[in-house]
Amino acid sequence: MKRSLILFISFLILVGFGSCEKEYILRTNPAEAKVVIEGLVTDKPGYHYIKLSRSTDFYSSGKTPRITDATVTVTDSDGVITEFVHNPNNDPDSMGYYKPVTPFIGVVGKSYKLFVLADGEEYEGEDTLYPVTTIDSLKYQINEDERADPEFPGRFYEVLIYTKEPQETRDYYLFNFYRNDSLTLNAPEDIYFTDDIALAEAINGITMPIFFSKGDKATVEAFSISREAFVFFNDLFNLINNDGGMYSPPPANCRNNLTNGALGFFRASAVTSMDIVVE
Amino acid sequence: MKHLSWGLIFSFALSMPALAQEKATISGYVRDAANGEELIGVTVYIPSLQTGTNTNAYGFYSVSLPQGSYTLQFSYVGYKSISVDIELSGNVTRNISMESEATYIQEVVVEDEAIDANVVDVQMSRNTIDVNQVKKLPALFGEVDIIKNVQMMPGVITAGEGTSSFFVRGGSADQNLILIDEAPVYDPSHLFGLFSVFNADVIKDSELYKGGIPARFGGRLSSILEVRTKDGNNREFHGTGGIGSMASRIMLEGPIRKEKSSYIVSARRSYADVFLRAANEDNLVYFFDVNAKANWRHNNNNRFFVALYAGRDDFSFSDDAGFSWGNATATFRWNHLFNDRLFSNTSLIASNFDYALEVFDPAQGLKWTSNLQELSLKNDLSYYINPDNEITFGYHITGRRFSPGKIKPNTSGSIFTTVELQKLYALDHAFYVSNRQRIGDRLMVDYGVRLSIFQQIGRSDIYLYEDPKDNTHVVRTDTLHYGPWENIKTYVNVEPRVGVRYSLRPGQSLKFSYNRMVQNTHLIASGTVPVPFNTWNPSGYYLKPQIADQFAAGYFRNFRDNTLEFSVEAYYKSMRNVTDFADNAQLFFNHDLSTEFRQGDSESYGLEFLLTKTKGRLTGMAGYTWSKTTRHIEGVNLGREFYANYDRRNVINITAAYEHSERWTFGATFTYSTGRPITLPEGKYEFGNYNPDVITERNGYRLSDYHRLDLSATLRQKVRPNRKWRGEWVFSIFNVYNQQNPFTIYTRTKQDDDGNIIGDGTEKEARLVYLFPILPSVTYNFTF
Repeated sequence: MKRSLILFISFLILVGFGSCEKEYILRTNPAEAKVVIEGLVTDKPGYHYIKLSRSTDFYSSGKTPRITDATVTVTDSDGVITEFVHNPNNDPDSMGYYKPVTPFIGVVGKSYKLFVLADGEEYEGEDTLYPVTTIDSLKYQINEDERADPEFPGRFYEVLIYTKEPQETRDYYLFNFYRNDSLTLNAPEDIYFTDDIALAEAINGITMPIFFSKGDKATVEAFSISREAFVFFNDLFNLINNDGGMYSPPPANCRNNLTNGALGFFRASAVTSMDIVVE
Repeated sequence: MKHLSWGLIFSFALSMPALAQEKATISGYVRDAANGEELIGVTVYIPSLQTGTNTNAYGFYSVSLPQGSYTLQFSYVGYKSISVDIELSGNVTRNISMESEATYIQEVVVEDEAIDANVVDVQMSRNTIDVNQVKKLPALFGEVDIIKNVQMMPGVITAGEGTSSFFVRGGSADQNLILIDEAPVYDPSHLFGLFSVFNADVIKDSELYKGGIPARFGGRLSSILEVRTKDGNNREFHGTGGIGSMASRIMLEGPIRKEKSSYIVSARRSYADVFLRAANEDNLVYFFDVNAKANWRHNNNNRFFVALYAGRDDFSFSDDAGFSWGNATATFRWNHLFNDRLFSNTSLIASNFDYALEVFDPAQGLKWTSNLQELSLKNDLSYYINPDNEITFGYHITGRRFSPGKIKPNTSGSIFTTVELQKLYALDHAFYVSNRQRIGDRLMVDYGVRLSIFQQIGRSDIYLYEDPKDNTHVVRTDTLHYGPWENIKTYVNVEPRVGVRYSLRPGQSLKFSYNRMVQNTHLIASGTVPVPFNTWNPSGYYLKPQIADQFAAGYFRNFRDNTLEFSVEAYYKSMRNVTDFADNAQLFFNHDLSTEFRQGDSESYGLEFLLTKTKGRLTGMAGYTWSKTTRHIEGVNLGREFYANYDRRNVINITAAYEHSERWTFGATFTYSTGRPITLPEGKYEFGNYNPDVITERNGYRLSDYHRLDLSATLRQKVRPNRKWRGEWVFSIFNVYNQQNPFTIYTRTKQDDDGNIIGDGTEKEARLVYLFPILPSVTYNFTF
């Protein structure tokens, strides 16, 4: 919350003073392609995946190059090894995605080690699965300011979340919001995550960042994340929202839990979700 | 070193009795004949002895000579020189009134001989910002701003237009000590740098010291900007004001008791809603500042001053959020003459800088505040032994309290709870002594030393870490508890200061200086340009003092009877422990902030050329600087050397003012500089719904070169003999040829202006931000 406030103000400084913008064509030296690992294991079935790809030129479009022939395993803190295989259902949209061969579920309190062997190079990452608080309830209401001037006709309902934040533990969270089962961001540069330093126990009615129309189904998915993952998402947010280093620090690569120069993050999370239909 | 400085005082004290028998002292104050303002830095020259002195910051001079007859010449920029014949048989007090030259030229005027201070003074690397000259030049939105003029001096670099920060000889923006009547100003900007906190109407004198910094200054590595405000006309009541396109101001001054005491009050306010061009009309922004000062002369030996300054910026974004910040300072000062040769100034100074950020929302409402408070006692003495030796010495003590941040919920239903970063306390002591000594005909030396003792004190809890530099896995191993006033860490530093001037022949000299500067108050900011919500931290358990050693050498020459001043200076500055931060440092609200500190080395060197024309219809300056600044810090840019954010290889600045007639004056400024370094991506990758950049090198690229021309014309109303009211219109055009100078470049997913994604969301684009197009403005100024 504080981070986005600071960035909001920094951008306002930039934009608010009648500054102008125009497109600029970058002419930078292309970097060597790096391996990108995006991995998730959770305590519920259906969420786990390891996605392997490579970085590419700044101006390329479409999907980035996928790595389809790597060896991928996940080992838990008890020593149980699960192999992940590439695209087991031969789904054309799942190139680069590795799914567990055997049924697999994460357990709160365990830690998980990822091992990837791609093109003769080894990459490793480790994360711990922390518990997540449950969501008590959701409520919807009309947002009067948005109804007066909606960005999309009819879309002026907001959904409020009610939950309790455990005060005895230091927790970090990541959120996904869906409109009609489709992952939605308010702005392309938004990431919804927080630590709990400044949070009280009673979270009574924090609003989802997106609006809904009558008949829409609103879903919130809350993940527990580790401190390392929080640091990664914080760095990612700074990178995506950077202003070129004028008022904010110069852009830099994200700190992560992967070895051998890989980009991305291997995350273990507990997940809870709830939905409501706006009637 | 400590022993050496005491030795200096003793040796001069011992030599005194022998001198006292034959010598007598002439001393006094030099004032402006019209308004009684004391004049700073007036040259007092005795031709028969080829020696002299200058008035100090309070207009006081003192010369001890063998008894006899002398002529004293008083000269000062913008004033008619005066010669005074003295018969010196005993101590004499002689106060001098000097008349200012006409502000406009009615016909060709026979010019007084200009002074040669540029060549003769020991002081090098100092620029005087002449407010009267600045007023003739174009100004952004018509607001005369001395900081914009500071930014045009050789050796000074800016981050871009519309900012009030400046970078001097390789130093970052927080390495400048900005003083207004001796009180420090922590953030000199209004509206994020569009204007500065200095109201030009009340400024009497401003000096920028970039090198060869005298021993009486300390606390920052790279520069001292010393601004002194007027004391107020003690003869008659006057007012000055202006109505501009952005802000208006008024100043009133006058005697409280004629020639004994006077006051000066000024206020400036911007218009509430002129500005934000972001489509939102609900955004309001305004700033104000107020200066108030009074002084009274008890007798010739005692004078008292009280000065207050308060300024604030306030932003509100619809009803959703508000943001404000401000400086407030108060100074009480006592000038005391112990005798004709020993002048003392004692000041008590209080300063407060704070900001507040508030979000109004029933569930997510919060208020975030931070402040920095400082209380100082300073005692500065000048001992005018004889024309060949002037000793200055003194003692400063400052207590500081830093409150880095406190978050509080501002509604009962807010999800936030109260969190506070612990306060930090520091005690800062400095002792200094220096002597300005004339040796023979050609050599003048200013040598001295400053001893700084900086203590971080309690109450404070210091956390110890498994790895003090690991900012990802912060593991605290222990906490050290310190009680109130208990010493946590003390840093003692000796700062030698030496300046030498060698006269080659009249009108030409060589100068050399060496100084060591130490900085113990550090700005926690990782952007290039500081923003008001950056906080300051004292040196302490984890943060070491920053140290700079600067060598400078220069050749100074005046032409055409001192109407053209030329100098070329070369400098080399080596800095240790410059504060920088880990990549992606979390600087806001971090209880373990010390894990983000990365202190390292920085090096800067350069060559500066300056030509100034001070007299005639056409006045102005042209300067060229070549410089290079790099940093080398473990933990930043993978430990590789990188260009500093403000490294600009070539900078050219030209200002010119032309007095066309009694009614018209024209002004122009031109600036050119190499683009600043910028960090740009060399690729991208996919992560979740995002397309982050691949970064390989910090500051590996540069923005394109910056250049801009501004013009102005001032039209003065006809002077009516019996009317006190004088008005003038100032027409200014900023960025005359509409150059789109890049301010910064950032990247984002390809989207249209409303934020809708173009394409499938995988494409990226880079955007160049530029600030000001051609901007005309009109201001009406008046005096009465």
